[in-house]
Amino acid sequence: MEYFATELLTLLFAALRSATPVLAVVLGEAMTQRSGVINLGVEGQMLLGAMTGFAVASVTGDPWLGVMAACFAGIALSMVHAILVLGCGANQIASGVAVLILGGGLSAYYGTPFVGDKIDTLGNLNHTFVSDIPLLGQFLGPITPTVLITLLAIPAISIFLFRTRTGLRWRSTGESQDITRNLGHNPVHYQLAAIAFGGLMSGFAGAALAVDYTANWVEGMTAGRGLVAVGLVIVARWNPWYALPAALLFGASEALNLKLQSWGVNISPYLLATLPYMIPLSVLMLSYRGLRASGGGMPAGLSVVFQSAR
Amino acid sequence: MNIQLYNITKRFGDVTANDGISLDIRAGEVVALLGENGAGKSTLMKMLFGLYPPDGGAILINDRETTIESPQKAMSLGIGMVFQQFNLVPALSVLDNLLLAYPKSPFWTFRRLFRTSPRKAVLTYLQELAPGLAPDTLVRDLSVGQRQLLELVKVLNLDAKVLILDEPTSVLPPQEAERLWGLIRKLAEAGRSVVLITHKMQDVMACAHRVVVMRAGRMVQTIDRKQCTESSLVSLMMGDSNQRSAIEVTPREAFANRPPRISIRDLHARHGAQSVENIRLDIAPGEILGVAGVSGNGQHLLADALVGLTPLARGEVIIDGYLLQSASRPPSTSGRVSYIPEQPAVNAVAADLSLTTNVALSHFRHLSFFPAWAPEEQLTRNIIQRYQVRPDNPALAAGQLSGGNLQKLVVGRELEGDKDLIVAAYPTMGLDAGAAHDIYQALFAKANEGAAVLWISEDLDDLMSYAHRIAVLQGGRISGIFDPRECDRLDIGRAMTGEPQPARTQRPPEQKPADPRVRAAS
Repeated sequence: MEYFATELLTLLFAALRSATPVLAVVLGEAMTQRSGVINLGVEGQMLLGAMTGFAVASVTGDPWLGVMAACFAGIALSMVHAILVLGCGANQIASGVAVLILGGGLSAYYGTPFVGDKIDTLGNLNHTFVSDIPLLGQFLGPITPTVLITLLAIPAISIFLFRTRTGLRWRSTGESQDITRNLGHNPVHYQLAAIAFGGLMSGFAGAALAVDYTANWVEGMTAGRGLVAVGLVIVARWNPWYALPAALLFGASEALNLKLQSWGVNISPYLLATLPYMIPLSVLMLSYRGLRASGGGMPAGLSVVFQSAR
Repeated sequence: MNIQLYNITKRFGDVTANDGISLDIRAGEVVALLGENGAGKSTLMKMLFGLYPPDGGAILINDRETTIESPQKAMSLGIGMVFQQFNLVPALSVLDNLLLAYPKSPFWTFRRLFRTSPRKAVLTYLQELAPGLAPDTLVRDLSVGQRQLLELVKVLNLDAKVLILDEPTSVLPPQEAERLWGLIRKLAEAGRSVVLITHKMQDVMACAHRVVVMRAGRMVQTIDRKQCTESSLVSLMMGDSNQRSAIEVTPREAFANRPPRISIRDLHARHGAQSVENIRLDIAPGEILGVAGVSGNGQHLLADALVGLTPLARGEVIIDGYLLQSASRPPSTSGRVSYIPEQPAVNAVAADLSLTTNVALSHFRHLSFFPAWAPEEQLTRNIIQRYQVRPDNPALAAGQLSGGNLQKLVVGRELEGDKDLIVAAYPTMGLDAGAAHDIYQALFAKANEGAAVLWISEDLDDLMSYAHRIAVLQGGRISGIFDPRECDRLDIGRAMTGEPQPARTQRPPEQKPADPRVRAAS
């Protein structure tokens, strides 16, 4: 029994750590979509963030500088999407895919010299007061700063979105740009901020992955996490609080995959590695049926993205 | 606050929408701007609200000439306007919608703060006008009347001294319209001015102090309401168009005992959150069955299910003894059924194709592999001529025509040829009176030829004048079927909102033994 509880808690906290990059992207993309813009480029922004963060950490030796550089890299690449979509009126899907590929290419090209470098990590809660907490100490110990920051972002985003004037206008932009404009607010301002925030969060997610979680840089290391996050936004119903269970779903299936491999389950590791993508997809499909009638909390302005093929 | 509009002129291309109009708006007064669709009432008020600049003339506010270049400027001057199309976000709560429009809204929007602190001011007018409405309710759960109240509250929150209401009663069931009239009178007593844009006599008679009659962009006359009668106003409003030929409708007795042409039996259908349930209707050949109801109560779905655009969940539709639609098979369209959907410009034409192609599309099943275009073009020319579609070139892409002209084209196309069932959803919405008249004439002529007509409309007056029976849809069900000769507007209004009928109408017309078909429908 005790063994089982320990295993379960280990799995849960492992899930939390591996879910953190995805959670950050889900939060950022949910905010972007709340303003009526879809950004499929988060995967590319994440890669660029991971590469930049790792490179800066490697060159300067300060991982925190790396995290900040990653955030800026994410914002910078997201501005390409902003210029294409808000400035040129380009199709959001096409623009997002362009950003995705651009981010992948840039990070692969500039990241080559850093492959195999060693960097200092951000550390974790081991050997702080947390380790002295009875029972839970051993599980809380491996928690790293990016996990804490991402978790704290949930209430912060939620208060901003649902309890402030700016958040209200942000949401109304996502529901209807026309109405927002008629009420005297400029929807473009909110969409620009939303795209930038999505860039910040995906850049940060890249750093959480490369600088903190793996302390390593490999080309294409996000392995589709950014795109999975776009799907998880639907599971999370564009709500920051639901983003946590949605991202944990991914993290838990990834942790489970590693666990199963370490137990020596007789399934090809390649098949097992699809678990983190299969499980959220199935949940998405299952929840979609129930969500369709109510719209699932989708910002009404988003449907415009799919209607117009300009 | 006194507003004077002096010699205002506005042109759109070659059309003069307003021609030298002068008008005073005084504090504490309700001015009714009366005129048919397209008379230029809304244009005039949109200039006062800063949406268009006038091409000539001046606006004087408290005797000082003022340029109103934007709605923001108008609002800062104390002029507020409630449009026919509401500017509300359905997914947000009542309070959120009020805050979005509030001039100096506070940064923190915690709900609790608005019950106690000075921030309560946001809700003052809401509590005054709609005491029962909880600020946390989502706007999508509100009725049309409540939404309109909310719009009014938004405008009052801007501290508006002059309120412009654009056709406020067109979407309301009659009893809510009465409540609104009371509210308008109260606002005027409190010293505000109200401008009521309307084409309905009831609005004018109920609450206006002064009536300004407009026709074809000109001001015909300004009269004190006490000095005018409904009939004098009608002739002022219509002018020479009074001489239009009357719309002929066959009296109901002509087909009272004929078997029904269309039988709708126990129809259920569902699409998204919308549903219609338990629809049972019989329509005789030549009968015009009106469908009334507050919009969004299943009218759209009923029409789609009848013509075969939405599968039935249960029930069947029988046309002259043949099964047209049934739940047991996929829906299909038929050449014997025509459909004039709402917003035909969006729903019934392919914008990139020519008018001729669009007309030909309605009978594409009968076109040969290499279509002969000459007869199609001739047909299109006939429609264009009969319904005065402008511009009158059949080779133009449909997207180059205005919505009203496309509407006329679609009506003409759908009424072409022999039809057994015509489903018309708001066929005259937004058209000027002349065009509406032509459409009614053509539609009802088809009924005379023996088609069964299901006519969805939100204009209760038109329904009462032309329909043989009026079925009311409420919440996807038929809440009553009325004979327009034996009921009044309030009976229908109660059915529209689902209120019980008072004892007086305990014996509704559908229980008359003389008409067995109607009984089946109750």
